[in-house]
Amino acid sequence: MDEQLLAKTFVELADNLVADFDLIDFLRLLTDRCVGVLGVSAAGVLLADLNGELRVMAASSEQARLLELFQLQNDEGPCLECYRTGTAVTVPDLAAEARRWPQFVAQAQLRGFTAVQALPMRLRDEVVGALNLFSSSPGLFAPAAVPIGQALADVATISLLQQRSTQVSTLLNEQLQTALNSRVLIEQAKGKLAERLDIDMEQAFTALRGYARAHQRRLSDVALAFVNGTEPLTDLAR
Amino acid sequence: MAGSRAARIAVLVAEQAARRGAPVGVVDVCTAAVEALPVGGAGISAMSPTVAGYPLCSTDSISEQVEELQLTLGEGPCVDAFAGGAAVWTVDLRSDAAQTRWPVFAPAAVEAGAGAVFAFPLQIGAISPGVLDLYSHVPLLLGAQELDEAMAFADFATLLLLNTRAAEREGIAAGSETELGGYRAEIDQATGMLTVQIGVGIEEAFIRLRAHAYARGRRLSDVAADVVNRRLRFPPDVDPDATVPEVVGDEP
Repeated sequence: MDEQLLAKTFVELADNLVADFDLIDFLRLLTDRCVGVLGVSAAGVLLADLNGELRVMAASSEQARLLELFQLQNDEGPCLECYRTGTAVTVPDLAAEARRWPQFVAQAQLRGFTAVQALPMRLRDEVVGALNLFSSSPGLFAPAAVPIGQALADVATISLLQQRSTQVSTLLNEQLQTALNSRVLIEQAKGKLAERLDIDMEQAFTALRGYARAHQRRLSDVALAFVNGTEPLTDLAR
Repeated sequence: MAGSRAARIAVLVAEQAARRGAPVGVVDVCTAAVEALPVGGAGISAMSPTVAGYPLCSTDSISEQVEELQLTLGEGPCVDAFAGGAAVWTVDLRSDAAQTRWPVFAPAAVEAGAGAVFAFPLQIGAISPGVLDLYSHVPLLLGAQELDEAMAFADFATLLLLNTRAAEREGIAAGSETELGGYRAEIDQATGMLTVQIGVGIEEAFIRLRAHAYARGRRLSDVAADVVNRRLRFPPDVDPDATVPEVVGDEP
């Protein structure tokens, strides 16, 4: 573990939790840094909705094949187990768990992953979601890396509470709903841009995020204006 | 368990419709919410950024007044919830905070008999067809579980409202069916794609997607997956001003 990189990452994450930060943009940054710092192949942040179903809020790639793998865990897998038990689930060798989670293991292996870890996002007594890490090299999740992964999961939880709030009173549950809806909005915007430019969902996400950053705007604001047609973003090209 | 809350709410709403002896409508969501939560009444208003909002239903005369006051005055939790895309509530309409924030609405709502108002936007991303308002006669603080329940009623009302519009397009009786198979990002992506393919707004795109699924008896998520994977395209709407009349020539 590169301690300098680690320190730099936490400083960067803290720096991004500014007054008017965008939650989805921030969580994408966090998943990207999970990949860099923890040496994993893919990372995702999942939040539970009102039905107790886990939904992807951000991932280190918006490729449908990866997102499906996170989503699949609403039926079985380490993320679901982590969410239900509130404890970290580490699977250094996926192949050994083929009986426990037949569907999930098969799909994960199909995508080249060999190890997986899920870390709980806890707030007081409540588990609100999980940070899910995938690796392509077996045995990667060393015990020493677990607290760092957990610290990153905790930062993700903190960011949920830091969202801009317009309410007279604000409660966590309402913040979570707002977060989930902003993700829905991003999906709608991705679809619209992907169709217009004939690009894939990851390219569409990157273009929208790049535009928002270049114009110092919140990703959600840009996405809403784009989907509603008040800002056509005609200068966005491939 | 996935879908349990949504499934439970679907049953509560269907019971209200059965009691009324009518197909499930948004008013049933309101009456079910009033039975499930410690509130005095509920109402739903249709909202739009371009057209004036109008009340869709309410459970009693106080909630009817709460809806109409806000729409007429252009201020109140409902208006703020719609504008901000997030729930807005006040536990006590007589409080200084509420009276300052809504100087005309707050005293008028108190006069009408409301002590607290909770407004939940009906929304699916950028689709935002209205707001669910709950009121209580006395000051009230909803607990976390109750808030979750109220937000779930709002989610149910959103789908019901949009599904009803889609069903009407296809001449099908509006049902209470909502897909309880869980959230699928493809539905949102496909909706975004259809705004470009058809050339309509996001709410209309969702209704077209839903109507297509109804008309063919298919699952919404399956139709959405076909759109996202580019196996299915929707034709563009013909601009009504540019249509060529079907009969041309010099017929008498």
